[in-house]
Amino acid sequence: MKKLFLFSAFGFALIIFLQAMPKTDTPIQPELNDEAPAIPEDVMAVVQQKCYGCHNAESKNEKGKEKLDWDELESAKKGKALATMKKITEVLEGDEMPPEKFLERKPEGKLTDEEKATLLAWSSGKKK
Amino acid sequence: MSKFWKYVGIGLLIVLIAIQLVPNELPAIEPENPADIHESPWMEEEISVVIKKACYDCHSNQTKYPWYSHVAPFSWLVAKDIREGREELNFSEWGNYDPLDQLAILDDIYGEVEEEEMPLPIYTWVHWDANLEDSERQALMEWAERTMDEIAETIE
Repeated sequence: MKKLFLFSAFGFALIIFLQAMPKTDTPIQPELNDEAPAIPEDVMAVVQQKCYGCHNAESKNEKGKEKLDWDELESAKKGKALATMKKITEVLEGDEMPPEKFLERKPEGKLTDEEKATLLAWSSGKKK
Repeated sequence: MSKFWKYVGIGLLIVLIAIQLVPNELPAIEPENPADIHESPWMEEEISVVIKKACYDCHSNQTKYPWYSHVAPFSWLVAKDIREGREELNFSEWGNYDPLDQLAILDDIYGEVEEEEMPLPIYTWVHWDANLEDSERQALMEWAERTMDEIAETIE
């Protein structure tokens, strides 16, 4: 009987203790970083139309989201942003995106030469 | 039956000896690497220890070849992995990379180490000492991130 009392007293104390612990899982707001180069409007227009469907934070395409997330890029630090732009340049130059499999189903998703040039001018930092 | 196995054994032995004659060149070891990342301002002592034990066999010109890497068929796999590894990232050529390439590589290092895609499981399976502890993974990732910030500072 004494044991039972002690046990429940201990349990009670534990519950109180856990309740009093500060909650650590408050979501941290992503900081908008102003040293990262802003993405120009003409680039964002192409991105919205041709890339964003798979490459966004809510994307169901896990691989696409993992490789590139435009929402993340917009708030990325400078180093991360430049690294990502470099990789985008390589992918564009190799005509690797949008993927061929995707284009078979959705041929209108292909980047026009003009669109590709717009993206490349931004990602590589070179004039069209 | 025992005769049958004897022939199989002899047959295997002959194949094993024969494949040793297939030409296969292991990527060369370079003792002097003036462009090595260790010559850059970005290398840190703790990180140096980790990447030398876990990455340098494939991602530098200073591969340490174990004895079996000279024996086919292992030598074929070793040669291929090292050739491809150096092509993707060669820490001994670090200084010859464009800063933007360095950033892209560091970003890849972060991702590959985080997802435990590197070091390759087939490599750590044999080189158990190259298996990264969680703390070492964390240290590498933090270093990659820190170094990206520092390199980014030097651009534009």
